[in-house]
Order: sequence, then structure tokens, then C-alpha cells
Amino acid sequence: MTQRGWEELRPYLRDERPPDDATIVVRGGPDTLAKLAMHARRTHDAYVLDGEPLWGISVYCALDDVGPASLDGLLRRFASYRAVHLPRTGQLRRAGFPLLPSFGRPHFTIRLDGDDPAGLTRLLDALGPAEANKYHRRERPGRR
Amino acid sequence: MVRVDITCDLMDEDETGHVWAFLRDARDPALIQPGAIVVAGDEDAPAVAEVVDIVDKPAGRIVHLRILPGLLEDYQAVIQRAVIPA
Repeated sequence: MTQRGWEELRPYLRDERPPDDATIVVRGGPDTLAKLAMHARRTHDAYVLDGEPLWGISVYCALDDVGPASLDGLLRRFASYRAVHLPRTGQLRRAGFPLLPSFGRPHFTIRLDGDDPAGLTRLLDALGPAEANKYHRRERPGRR
Repeated sequence: MVRVDITCDLMDEDETGHVWAFLRDARDPALIQPGAIVVAGDEDAPAVAEVVDIVDKPAGRIVHLRILPGLLEDYQAVIQRAVIPA
């Protein structure tokens, strides 16, 4: 814990090579400015990074071709989301949003400078349109 | 229309590997007890979850959630099949 009382994120950052620009990022959607602001503030309320305020939202990167860290594995894991945003890491970096490899692989925190509407709008644009999650409405045995 | 028991981002996991939420974001905090089955997330993406534990942190009381497989509709369907009206 820091003297401010928030938890320090640094010990929970993984030491690994950043994903390349073509890596697909999975973010449950559909996101709105209000949702992004709420989620970024929740991170801000819980964590600091190197003792400094931190705003961020959680995403997962499709780091593998198969398995739980693949795109298919992540879409299946997050089947509760009827829609997902699937930007490339390069889109987020070019828009000025670094990805912190936080907690367990393949979780990342997109770092924001704050929760001002201009920055959140830039992030929403960088996330791109929400697409249907093919696992959300898939027919399952027993569902009627 | 779905009303969740505790609002959170289902993508927010922490070092435990579980989804975390602030207890303050529960509709009725009394419902949130270890072992309780609750609806977590938001109205766009609700999920059935088990409350793993509640831990005290300086930022507030943190609830850890284990997201259970399937959609909310799956649980509704199984209850409709299983419960026989008296």
C-alpha cells in the first residue's frame, strides 16, 4: 500500500515483451463515454502507478493462436458480452494509449491520462466500432 | 431489462485472477456474501457469478467474483425446466 492508501500496481506488472502492433485487443462492449469514464475512475480509485494517480480500463490481448489467450478463447470467455471492440494494439498506441501488462496473462490495462471527455472520446474512437460476439447467442443444448 | 446485484467491469481482474468490484457498487450489500450467487456486470453484459470473498483495502471493500459459465438466459432456462409450479 502507498501512503495515499491506494494499491500500487507496479508489483502486478508482468515483465514481458509488448505485443506487436497487429495484436488484436478484446474489450467488452458496447462501450460509451459514460462507461469508459466509470471504469477508468474505478481503476483510479483502487490503484496508483509508481505512486502517481492511474486511470485505466481492462482489456485482454489475443497473444496466442490457440487456447485461452487466443482470440477465440477470449471471445468464448467473455460470452456475456453481446458485442466486443477488437482494435489492434497499434491503433491504441498511435492514439496515445499505452498498454500495461497487468496481473495475469493476457490481461492488460490501457492507461489514460485522466478522465476528461476529450481523452475518453479519443479512446472510444481508437477502440473502433463494437462487433457481435459470435459466442454470445450461440445455440446451446438445453436453451429454449 | 436486467438489474444486476453488483455493478462492475467483467474484464477487471486482479492478482487473484478473479473479477473485482467495490462493495459500494452493490445494489444491496447484504446480498454480497462469500458463496452467494449474484448477477454482476451491467445491464449490457450481465453474468452470473459466485462471490469468492470480500477483502478490506484502503480504497474500500473489494469483492472478488468468480464468473460462472453460460449466459443469464441459460440459468433462466434451467430454472424454468426444473421448477414445477405448486
